[in-house]
Amino acid sequence: MSQSQPTEVDTETDADSERESFTGQGLPRVEDHRILTGRAEYIHDITPENCLHMALVRSMHAHAEIVGIDASEAEAHPGCELVLTGEDLRGEYNPMPTGIETVTTDDGEEAPIEEWSLAADTVRFVGEPVAAVVATNRYVAEDAADLVDVEYESREAVADGMAAREDEVVVHESVGTNVVDHERLEFGDPAAAFDEADHVVEGEYSWGRISGVPLETAGVVAQYDEEADAFDIDCNIQLHTLVDETIYETLGYDADDVRVNVPADVGGSYGTKIAIHRYCCLAAMASQQLERPVKFEEDRVENLQGGDMHCSERDYRMRMAVDDDGTMCGLDVWFVDDFGAFPRYPVNQVLKPLSVLTNSYVIDDVSYEYDLVLTNKTSQTAYRGFGVDPHIYALEMIVDDAAREIGMDPTEFRRRNLIRPEQMPYTLPSKNLYDSGDYPATLDRIQEIVDEERDGGLLDPEIVEAKREEGKYRGVQPSVIIEPGVSGSDWTDRQRSDREDLEERPREEVDELPEHLRATVGEDGTITAFLATDSSGQGHQTLVSQLLADELEVLPSDIEVDYLDSVDAPTEYGSAASRMAVMLSGATVGVAEKLVRNLEAIAADHWDVSADEVTYHDGVVERVSTSETLLLADLAAIDADGDDHRRSVSYNYDHPATELEEFDEALAQKLPVYPTAAFGANAPIVEVDVETGEVEILTFYTVRDCGTMLNPMIVDGQAHGGIAQGVGAALLEEFGYEENGQPQAITLFDYLLPSIENVPKIEMEHTETPSPFTETGAKGVGEGGMIDAPASIATSINDALEPLGLEAPADRIPVAPDHLRKKIRDRER
Amino acid sequence: MARSRDVVTIPMSVDNAGGTDGPVTEEITVTVNGEDVTAEVEPRLKLSDFLRYECGLRGVRVGCEHGVCGACTVQEEGLTVKSCLSYAVQADGAEIETVEGLADEDGSLHPIQEAFHETHALQCGFCTSGFVMATKELLEANPDPSREEIETGLADNICRCTGYQNIYEAVERAAAKMEE
Repeated sequence: MSQSQPTEVDTETDADSERESFTGQGLPRVEDHRILTGRAEYIHDITPENCLHMALVRSMHAHAEIVGIDASEAEAHPGCELVLTGEDLRGEYNPMPTGIETVTTDDGEEAPIEEWSLAADTVRFVGEPVAAVVATNRYVAEDAADLVDVEYESREAVADGMAAREDEVVVHESVGTNVVDHERLEFGDPAAAFDEADHVVEGEYSWGRISGVPLETAGVVAQYDEEADAFDIDCNIQLHTLVDETIYETLGYDADDVRVNVPADVGGSYGTKIAIHRYCCLAAMASQQLERPVKFEEDRVENLQGGDMHCSERDYRMRMAVDDDGTMCGLDVWFVDDFGAFPRYPVNQVLKPLSVLTNSYVIDDVSYEYDLVLTNKTSQTAYRGFGVDPHIYALEMIVDDAAREIGMDPTEFRRRNLIRPEQMPYTLPSKNLYDSGDYPATLDRIQEIVDEERDGGLLDPEIVEAKREEGKYRGVQPSVIIEPGVSGSDWTDRQRSDREDLEERPREEVDELPEHLRATVGEDGTITAFLATDSSGQGHQTLVSQLLADELEVLPSDIEVDYLDSVDAPTEYGSAASRMAVMLSGATVGVAEKLVRNLEAIAADHWDVSADEVTYHDGVVERVSTSETLLLADLAAIDADGDDHRRSVSYNYDHPATELEEFDEALAQKLPVYPTAAFGANAPIVEVDVETGEVEILTFYTVRDCGTMLNPMIVDGQAHGGIAQGVGAALLEEFGYEENGQPQAITLFDYLLPSIENVPKIEMEHTETPSPFTETGAKGVGEGGMIDAPASIATSINDALEPLGLEAPADRIPVAPDHLRKKIRDRER
Repeated sequence: MARSRDVVTIPMSVDNAGGTDGPVTEEITVTVNGEDVTAEVEPRLKLSDFLRYECGLRGVRVGCEHGVCGACTVQEEGLTVKSCLSYAVQADGAEIETVEGLADEDGSLHPIQEAFHETHALQCGFCTSGFVMATKELLEANPDPSREEIETGLADNICRCTGYQNIYEAVERAAAKMEE
């Protein structure tokens, strides 16, 4: 792997001066050179000798019985090597693991929900694969796929989450209901809070179906090795050391027999590629049948309509209990989340909001209830924010509505209820903790920025008035929003646990996954670190080279960073849930300590002295008495001659919450544990054209805090990207469906990704409040913009249209022009 | 451990020597990054697939195959085209430049590539070849573009990671470098 090295690093270090820390600097990335020159190897670029190519036959019905499949013409097509159907898979392989394994039926039976890589009897969404066709290249494979004749008997479909709850059309007959999971949690005494409050405010808000839509689609190259009876699977799955079970269990093999390897470069994921295992399994099965490598590259239409990659689609009913003095007394959250046809792995997206249940506000009495429903749509995967983004949006909407109800300025109402710095660390009613931060100061700062714009700027009263006469309404409404970081892993199977027993569950039963890191010293004196996670643009190679360079007192350019596959790496969590800044901070410190100890031991043995007579510094071990030194290359060579292999070490960094008893209750009860709370306040200055319903964001101000910034350049990039995705979610993107389950957004002409013309100028400031819970003081960062931008844009639209007297005009995400026009028209009637 | 591989091209060109049953093909010659490439191709072979699989130029990224994302942007006769929207046979006789043609043979980067690196204007990198090529066309036509002109010049390319903020910076920095 070729790497360009940062040019701005001073390579001449003065031994007497204090060592400059690389951590905290915006070092340019080591990943860039290979990408910029076109030499980066993404999964689509991997094509082994003798490789065949797969195309899929997909259902065009939202709900239908498969009467029969005739593949004879396809099989006879020149170049076609194999057609696999659902029937072929039964008996030989397994269904894919699901997020909800069984549902208790009305008869008290535990009925399983089975999802096969290819549907055999029933298709349940448009785009569901029914056959896999393998041929010499993709063109020929698609020709042959067109010749597969599938006879369907169509059935009525259900494509609306609220309607699906009625069970008039049931997606899985065997379980008899579309509501496959439900939970109600209560914290404090919400009933009393609502009884006693001066006001109870209610609101309904909905969050349309959106997703990450990375520019690189899913891809896989599978090779079955008959001699070893094992698979090598290269693919761009996310969390390959955690979710590899979705592949090996489906194939019916042990973890060690299915080597899942992710290229160093993945063209974006944002959570979505966690669930591409269907493709991995099908390519592997085809490879096993043919004993040749088989490649699959998802195309964009497949990705958008049936790629198992949509995310949260929710209808909220929120209630807030408030007193006349502006105290938030109680919160009642109820929602339906439409998961599509199968409850896949990320079912716990409905639970993650508990980690930021009341956002930045003190509210002690809260109830939280959801219905997880299935419909005839493609299944959900994870997306940046993991279900927190709609929760924060709905919460900020009810806050706006409550402020209006009691006649208080919405910013003042928010300020009065903010968690105060002296309350940190703050325990939420739902038992997660916020680590640190001054929320009132953050709100004050963003308000200052807004006030500056009111004085001769974009929000100057005269300008606002003049614009209004042209039908252009400007507004802004900031709030302080929390980004939960560094998810624990133990809670994530809450829905597959016996929830009634959890209150009594002992803390000792908690089993968290660590972060694994390896480092080895090469005989040329360079150090190679091995990540057990995969990356998709976050710059982990740069980050680890910075962190490890500081720990080992060498230069980042002395360090290369490579990746482990699923067999070489232990099962661990990986890159998701704003985890890596914190987990890699801890893991690098640990691995470096171990390595230094070993290098000192090698030197001590070499000089035949005791370990305390040698000391490591600046990439050498020095014998204290004589000032003799051994370089890293020398130490590696000495070690290579022996049998101890002490120059290679691995380290497992335990999840930080496991070391803090404050988290014991949440851990034991499998409530979402996120030990860092990054936070920020946004002020997107919006302008709504009431004639067209279009929203333009004139400038997007944001004040953010993610604790200690390990690489400020990367932190800014994460914030920019998250906010841009938030802009898309708030204003443009949606996977709409017809009532009959036909998808409306199957190209990028329909699913509108924000372009450079849609993303406003982002003016960003940072504060740095270190986390007391992490090794470097860093907090998780990555999901923030996607979590906070949609809510801030929506509240700002509410503010802009306030003069029209509309009630919560932004009560639906995306706030598309047709939605706002309808609101305005309805008012005019 | 990550396995390293050599580039293997997929046989997209067709060998019709054996008989007349195969698909109809045409011989084309395209000048790609200064070198003539001659191949026998099916008329339906997309230019993007020709460049990726016949020429081994994987820097040509394919993100949507319907002309929205711009990841496959290359220069044809000095103007940017989305190579997923045309066929290889249409490029017969043409000169094509891809991102692979920008850096010097000694590996030193083109000023646009340098600027993208220095300003962190790429994250996952899948859109980057397209943005670099679109920036090249923009700066060739307009060496000192305003923010609005950058917006117009790059409006046909999608980046899902960076929020475009640093891409403005990169284009401005590249313009300054190229003026030097």
